[in-house]
Amino acid sequence: MKRFYLFGFLLLMAFDTLSQISFKYAGDSALPVAASIGWLTRVFSQPWVYGAVVGYVGAFFTWMALLKHAPIGPAFAASHLEVVSVMLLSVWLFDEHLTLPRVLGAIAIVAGIVCLGLAESREHVAEPADA
Amino acid sequence: MLPAHGSISALVACLWVFNVLLDTGGQLAFKAAAGHPEAGDGLARWKHMAARPWLWLGIGCYLFEFLVWIAFLSLLPLSEGVLLGSINIVAIMVAGRFLFGEKLTRMRVAGILLVTLGVAIVGLAG
Repeated sequence: MKRFYLFGFLLLMAFDTLSQISFKYAGDSALPVAASIGWLTRVFSQPWVYGAVVGYVGAFFTWMALLKHAPIGPAFAASHLEVVSVMLLSVWLFDEHLTLPRVLGAIAIVAGIVCLGLAESREHVAEPADA
Repeated sequence: MLPAHGSISALVACLWVFNVLLDTGGQLAFKAAAGHPEAGDGLARWKHMAARPWLWLGIGCYLFEFLVWIAFLSLLPLSEGVLLGSINIVAIMVAGRFLFGEKLTRMRVAGILLVTLGVAIVGLAG
């Protein structure tokens, strides 16, 4: 069962990562940004925007399946930890740099997400005692 | 074609704020749609939700957010963009506290402060 959760969390992260990378490719190829039909046409006339949709739909169904079985705390954390995978991939795909502020910011954010995940876990463990 | 650097960062800030508002608004609308006590079960519940504005408001927010997020990410590095976007987690928890009276335990407050700190570090440097 543990292996099932782990696979589910990784799948959720993979779908979220696919979405973010697709969003970036879609946005980059639709530049310059403008509140216009022209920009919307540029966004929807290349395949990346549909990659983002696939990632969203996949993440939605994975999340729903996970929530049925997996503990909520780790599921919550897993649904937000794609920041790490996206950061690492953007070094490779977009030649971005892991600057010091980004690394420090990411460490604080991940620590915060872990706290929030732990908070969820505690609450749901504590619930039967309250009832 | 590109505006001067100053107006780009103003546009980025605007899109960032819009993204937070739309994401939080969408989540709260879905919460309001799903949490209605007289809604019933199964198909009746879906019919009940479809006849009220909350579900549609939520969908509208999400569609608009989709476009705002694409525009936002095209104006800055992806690694910076996703980190700045983490503020949505904080906004939703704070809104849930005020609108639905959800508890902010010490662990949650610690999480909220850490995420906010991380976003501030990235935002102030970038």
